Amino acid sequence: MNAIAERYADAGVGSLFVYTNEAHPGENYPHHTSMEQKLRHAAALRDVLGVSRPILVDSLDGACHRAYGSMPNMTWIFNQAGTPIYKSDWSDSHSVENAVQYYLQVLDRRRNRERMAPFHVERLDYRVQDQEQFYAGLERSGPKAVTEFRDAFG
Amino acid sequence: MTADLLTRYNYDEFVPAKFEPWMRFDQSPPLATRAPDFSLWTLDGAETSLSAVWSANSYTIVEFGSFT
Repeated sequence: MNAIAERYADAGVGSLFVYTNEAHPGENYPHHTSMEQKLRHAAALRDVLGVSRPILVDSLDGACHRAYGSMPNMTWIFNQAGTPIYKSDWSDSHSVENAVQYYLQVLDRRRNRERMAPFHVERLDYRVQDQEQFYAGLERSGPKAVTEFRDAFG
Repeated sequence: MTADLLTRYNYDEFVPAKFEPWMRFDQSPPLATRAPDFSLWTLDGAETSLSAVWSANSYTIVEFGSFT
């Protein structure tokens, strides 16, 4: 997702990461009890995980996250008017880049005076399941996060 | 902001009874309608908003997430 942000920034595509609640609280990154702690965790996203996009932090009660469905790792794309034009309940860079390329083509077609009207489409996309990377993330949070995930999903 | 909401949203352990109630993508805003705007904070604690970001770009990709 960082690479997509860099690739399309000059085309007028902004990217940001909104830090939410901790999906898998562990000893190192426990559940949030204060905004100060949440801001510290968010800074570690940049420093530890290497998130290079702008990171914005939701309120402690997750007002923004909850209003958008509170999935642990979802992605939305908005147009300049604030209308959501893409939403996915999980984040996958291939799916996001595919959508960005399509919407940039729409801009070009409009510049070429092509008359277009929006319509709805449903699509089932496929994301990479990298178990090794996922468990590395759990371990980074702490042994408690690993144990609880195994207990929940085997 | 109630203490109960803060505790439930910031659940302290990953067990279905605590995380499943928050998986509500089916209740999220529909596409093609004006999206709700919210305050958000930069890493140094300055307040901004979702609309401040989306209004500055032709398109804006917003990924929600945490460490895991």
